[in-house]
Amino acid sequence: MSHAGRIDGGLIDRSQEIKFRFNGKWMRGFAGDTLASALLANGQLLVGRSFKYHRPRGVFTSGSEEPNALVQLRDGAHQEPNTRATMVELFEGLTATSQNHRGSLEYDLLAVNDLVSPFLSAGFYYKTFMWPKAFWEKLYEPVIRAAAGLGKLSMQNDPDAYDKGFLHCDLLVIGAGPSGLMAALTAARSGARIILADEDFRPGGRLNAETLEVAGMSGADWAVQAVAELSNMPNVRLMTRTTVYGAYDHGVYGALERCTDHLADSRGKPRQILWRIYSKRAVLAAGATERPIAFGNNDRPGIMLAGAVRTYGNRYGVTPGQQVAVFTNNDDGWRTAADLQAKGVNVPVVIDSRDKPATLNLPGVKHIAGEAVMDTVGRKGLKSITLTSGRVIPVDALAVSGGWNPNVHLTCHQRGRPTWRDELCAFVPGGELPVGMAVAGAANGAMTLAAALAEGHVKAEAQLKDLGIKTKQTDVPKAEDEPRDCAAFWHVGESRKRAWVDLQNDVTVKDIKLANTEGFRSVELLKRYTTMGMATDQGKTSNIAGLAILAEEAGKTIPEVGTTIFRPPYTPVPIGALAGRARGKDFRPYRLTPSHKWAEENGASFVTVGNWLRAEWYTRDGEKGWRDSVDREARMTRQSVGICDVTTLGKIDIQGKDAGAFLDKVYSNTFSTLPVGKVRYGLMLREDGICYDDGTTARMGENHYVMTTTTANAVLVFRRLEFARQCLWPNMDVHLISTTDGWAQFAVAGPNSWNLVRKVIDAEYDISNEAFPFMACGHVNVCGGVPARLFRISFSGELAYEIAVPARYGNSMMGVLNEAGAEFDAVPYGTEALGVMRIEKGHATANELNGQTTALNIGLGKMVSQKKECIGQVLSQRPEMTRDDAIKLMGFRPVDRTRKLIAGSHFLNKHDPADMDHDQGWMTSVAYSPNLGHHIGLGFIKQGDTRKGEIVRAISPVHGVEMDVEIVSAHFVDPKGERLRG
Amino acid sequence: MAKYTLIAEPPLAGYDETFGDMRLVAPADFALVSIALPLGGEDKALKAIKTGYGVDLPEVGESVLSKDGKARLLRMAQDQAFVMFTYAKPDAAQVVSNQIKDSAYVTDQTDVWTALRLSGPSSRSALERICPIDLDIEAFAEGHVARTVMEHLGVVILRDAADSFVLLSASSSAGSFLHAVETSIRNIM
Amino acid sequence: MIINHPLLGPRDAAEFVYLGDASLIDRPDWQAEDAMDQFHAYGYLRDNPAGEHKELWYHEQGDRSWLVVTRNTLTHEITNVEIARDVARARGRDK
Repeated sequence: MSHAGRIDGGLIDRSQEIKFRFNGKWMRGFAGDTLASALLANGQLLVGRSFKYHRPRGVFTSGSEEPNALVQLRDGAHQEPNTRATMVELFEGLTATSQNHRGSLEYDLLAVNDLVSPFLSAGFYYKTFMWPKAFWEKLYEPVIRAAAGLGKLSMQNDPDAYDKGFLHCDLLVIGAGPSGLMAALTAARSGARIILADEDFRPGGRLNAETLEVAGMSGADWAVQAVAELSNMPNVRLMTRTTVYGAYDHGVYGALERCTDHLADSRGKPRQILWRIYSKRAVLAAGATERPIAFGNNDRPGIMLAGAVRTYGNRYGVTPGQQVAVFTNNDDGWRTAADLQAKGVNVPVVIDSRDKPATLNLPGVKHIAGEAVMDTVGRKGLKSITLTSGRVIPVDALAVSGGWNPNVHLTCHQRGRPTWRDELCAFVPGGELPVGMAVAGAANGAMTLAAALAEGHVKAEAQLKDLGIKTKQTDVPKAEDEPRDCAAFWHVGESRKRAWVDLQNDVTVKDIKLANTEGFRSVELLKRYTTMGMATDQGKTSNIAGLAILAEEAGKTIPEVGTTIFRPPYTPVPIGALAGRARGKDFRPYRLTPSHKWAEENGASFVTVGNWLRAEWYTRDGEKGWRDSVDREARMTRQSVGICDVTTLGKIDIQGKDAGAFLDKVYSNTFSTLPVGKVRYGLMLREDGICYDDGTTARMGENHYVMTTTTANAVLVFRRLEFARQCLWPNMDVHLISTTDGWAQFAVAGPNSWNLVRKVIDAEYDISNEAFPFMACGHVNVCGGVPARLFRISFSGELAYEIAVPARYGNSMMGVLNEAGAEFDAVPYGTEALGVMRIEKGHATANELNGQTTALNIGLGKMVSQKKECIGQVLSQRPEMTRDDAIKLMGFRPVDRTRKLIAGSHFLNKHDPADMDHDQGWMTSVAYSPNLGHHIGLGFIKQGDTRKGEIVRAISPVHGVEMDVEIVSAHFVDPKGERLRG
Repeated sequence: MAKYTLIAEPPLAGYDETFGDMRLVAPADFALVSIALPLGGEDKALKAIKTGYGVDLPEVGESVLSKDGKARLLRMAQDQAFVMFTYAKPDAAQVVSNQIKDSAYVTDQTDVWTALRLSGPSSRSALERICPIDLDIEAFAEGHVARTVMEHLGVVILRDAADSFVLLSASSSAGSFLHAVETSIRNIM
Repeated sequence: MIINHPLLGPRDAAEFVYLGDASLIDRPDWQAEDAMDQFHAYGYLRDNPAGEHKELWYHEQGDRSWLVVTRNTLTHEITNVEIARDVARARGRDK
C-alpha cells in the first residue's frame, strides 16, 4: 500500500513503524497515529457505509464526534463494533473491518437503498410498513433489522476484564487543551489536589492540531512542557485516554479510562475503568466541535471538517488529498488553507460564503467570496466540486467549516440550559450549571487561543478561592487572539441534490423540512422522527445545523426553537465497563454458613437464599432424586434426630435498661415480662397493621435480649429497630448490634435431640426437662469449655434445641454433632426438609407473611396486645382488617391423596364459577409429607377456622389443574404440641 | 476431658500473601468487642474506659491505641465503640467488660467480622478500586476509621499506619471480600 | 449525591438508605381520641413539595445513624443535615 497521504511533520514517531490490517489488507502507520490518520496516510479514503442508504463514507473528523468512520476493531470474542477510527490508537497487529455493507466495502449490495432513497425519507417505516399489520413482526422488522443497523456483535462472552474505582480531588479539570492545561497549572501550583482528564492519548487538545504559538513556542511544545510540570507534581493526577462522560449531583463525575485499548493485548488487566470522581470543584474545558455546512452530496469520502484536515496535517503528517479546497463561513477555515499550503499541499481555492475580503492573504490560493459549494462528484472519493455559480473545480478533498460549537454537554446533565450567542452562531453554557462547575475556554465561547488560556487561568483561580485555597502567581503565557469571525450559514439552498445534516443517521435537509411540514416542529420531536442526533455520535456535528434548518423552515429564530438537552454519557460507555467486575459468579457477593465446608464434604446441594448459600439437602448413596433425600431427612428427624445449620437467621443483640420496654414497642406482644432465661415467639407488624417479620427473642440477662429475625429480613428489621430507637423513642437506653455472623447456630430436632445435645454440653449444666423446659434459654459450655448458647425452641414441632457457638467453631460443631449423633442415626437436614417440617407443623414463613396478611389472618390475632403501645397496633384495628369473613391460615389436603397440590392455587367453593368474584383464598405453601404419605398445603381461606372438614376446589389456571381439597388444621403433626414439651 | 473437641477455624485463618510491594494478611487471634455507652451513663463509661485503657475514647471516625499499646479503641458512632486486640480465646467480651468495670454494654464481635490488613506503598492505589472513602493522608489520617461499603459489602476501614489499612468485613462473606481485595491488588500490578 | 454527615463529613449517598418524609418522626399518640385518624394521616398522607423537603436517611453503611436531610427536590441541593435523634428529642418525643 502506498503512503499516498503522508506528508512532512506531525507529532508521530516515524522511527516506530506499526503494521495493521484493514479489511484483511496489511497497511503501515507510525506510533502516534490513530487508525483514521493511518488509513488516510495509506490513501484509504473509503472507510465505511452509511446507516440507511449505504453510501460510501470516509473519515469526517479527527475526534470523538466522528459520525462516519465507525469500524469493527479486533476479531474473535474481542471484536468490538462501532469503534471510532478517529479515537483508536494504532498498535502493532491491529485488525479492523469496515461496517454496514453486504459484500465488499467497495461493492455493497445494499447500496441499492440509495437508489430507492425517495422511499426511505424521515419516518419512512412509520408510513410504509404499517399495513398489513401482521407483516410487521414477521417480515418488515426482521428485514429492516438485517439491512440497517451498524456493526455486529461477536455473540461471544466479552473476554476482557473491567474495573471501577473512586477518586477524590479539590478540582477536576475536564479537558487538557489550552484552557484545561492552564487551569490545571494554575490550580496545581497552589498545592490543591487536581485531576486533569482528557479523552485523547496525547494531552494538548487543539494545541496539537494548530500551528499557533504559545509563549513563543509551538502550542504542542508548550503542552508538552505543561504536562511535564504537572506529571511531576504529587498533587496532580493526569488521566489521559479518560473521558469524563457525566456530571452528577454534588460534584460527582463519571469517567471512563481506556487502559489497554491501545495495546494489542490486555494481559488480564482491566481493559477499561469506570471512575467515580468526587470533586469539590470542576472546570469544564471541553473545547468546541466544528460543524459542517449542508450541501448536495456533501457526504463523499474526501470531504472533511476543516479543523480535522488541519489536525491530520499538523499532528499526524497526513493529508486527505493533494488538491484540497476549503469551504467556510468563518475565519477559522482559512487556517486550514494556510497550514496545508505551508506543508506543500496544493490549495487551489477557498470558498467563503461571506461576502468579505480574504481573512488571510495566501498567495496562490484563489478566494471566492459569497459563493458556496452546491454539489460534488466522485462516488468513492471526491473528484470535483460544483459551486453555486455553476463553476466546477477539480479537487480530491474538501475541507468544510461551518463554525464551532462549544461542547456544552456536561453543563446540561442537570439543570443547565444552553443559551444562544449570535456573534458565535452557537449555544454556550447557560442556566444553572452543575454545582461546583465552571466552564472555561472554547466550551464557554472563549474561542481564541489567548482567550482560552486566560479563561482557564481565571476560572481555576476563582474555583480555588471559593475553596479557600490561595493560588500562587501564575502568568498566562503569550498567545494570539486569532480571527474567529463567523457568519450564520447552515445549508446551501441552491443544492438540488440530497444534502446531509446528520451523516451517522443519514438525515438530510429534506428530511428536516419534511418533519416540519408534517408537524414535528418541536426540536425534541424532530430528533425522534428523523433520528437526527441519535446513535454513537449523539449529533455532535449535526444538531445545531438541524435545528437551524428547522428554525428557518418554521420562521423562527434558533433560540426560539431551542436545543435538545444532552444527557450522560458524553460518548458511549461499554456495558462491560458499567458492569465492572459484577459478572458471572462475581455478580454479587456470597455468604457461607459456618458449616459450609462440612456440608460440601457430606454431599450437600446448595441453594441461594439472598446472598447466602444454604444446604438444601444432603444426598446419600443410592438416592435417585432430591425427594429421596428430603423425605429421608424429614422422616429421620421426626423418628430420631436431625441437625440443621440455622445461622442465617438474623441475630440482633439488644442491650440496655429499656430493652424490654423497647421490645414491647416493636413487637405486637409483650417482652418486658419475659423472665431471664426464657424465649418467646414475637410477631412484628408494620405501622399499617400488616405482619412484617417474626422470630424468637431470648432474654439472656436483665438488660440483655437476643432477637432472631427471618433470614430475608435481617437487615430490614435492624434498620427498622434503629428507626424506632433513634426517631420514635429517642430517650430509651437501648443499644443494637448485629451478631448474625458471630454465632454458628444449629437446630437439633427430634425425639433424640436431648440425648444428642446432652453428649456435647459440658456435664455441669443441667438441661433436664425440669431445669430447662420448652422455651428455656441460657449460657452453657460445650465440648469442654467452649462458651455456647442453648435455646429450647422448635420450628419442626419436635422436641428440639438450638445450640449456638462462636462462628469459628461452627464447622467443627457440625462435625461433632453428627459424630455424636451417629448412635441415634442422626441426619443433617437442609432447607427443603426444614420447609417440609414447618409446613407439617403449620408455621408461617415468608409465603404466609407476604406483606398482605395480618396477625388475624395467620391465626395470631390475640398476639396484638391492646394493653400497650406497639407499632401497627392502631391501624391493625381498622374495620377492613378485622372483618368477620377475614381469610385464615389453614391446612389443606387433597381429597384424592395421590394428587400433588400446587402452591398459588386459588380456592373456590364447590359450585361457584371460577372467577375473582368468588375467590375464597389461595394456597401459600405445599409439600409432600413423608410422615403422612401424601401432599399437604397451607393456605388462606375466608373464615377458614369455622370450615374444617369442608371440601373446596383448588384451581390453578396457569397449570390447568383443578382438584378437590379438604380444609384441615394447619398443624398436621402433633396438633397439641406434646412432642415439643416432652 | 470432654469426649469431643471443637477446632477454631476463622474464615481466612493463616492467610498471608505478598503481591509486589503489598502484603495482605489475616491477623491471627484477632479479637473485636463492641462497647455501647449507656444513655445517661456516658460519662461514667467514658471515665471507666479512660481508666481501663489509659486513653480517652476518640471522636467518631477516629481510633486510638491504648496506653499499653495492646488494644485499639475505634469510635464507630456517638454511642458505640469497638475494641480491637489480639486474643485467642472465645471470651473477648468478658475481657473488655472487666477492663471497663462493666460500665457499658459489650458484645463480642470477633466472629462477626473478619480482618485483613493490607500494607505497602501501593495499598492506597489498590483500595481506590473498591473504597469510596478518600484515603488521602490529609483526609484520612493515621488512626482514622470509617464504616463504608465496598463491592456491596459493609466494610470498616482503619488506617493503622501511613501505608497500612485494616479492613473488617462480615465473616460469612469473607471469601467474597478477599476476592475483591485480591482482584484490586492484581488489577493495579 | 453526597450527604454531609454532621459527624462524619461528606459521604456518598450510596452508603445511605432513604425512608421518606421526616414527619414520620411525629408518630401520633396511640391513646388519642382520634388515634385512628391520626395514624391514618401519619401512615398515608404526605406532602410532595417541589422544593425544600425534610426527609429521613439512614446511614446503613456507616455509623447507623438516622439523619434528617433538608433537600431541594428540584435541584437536589442539600441545605441541612441533622441527627434525627436530636430532631426527635427537640420535637419533644419522650421515651
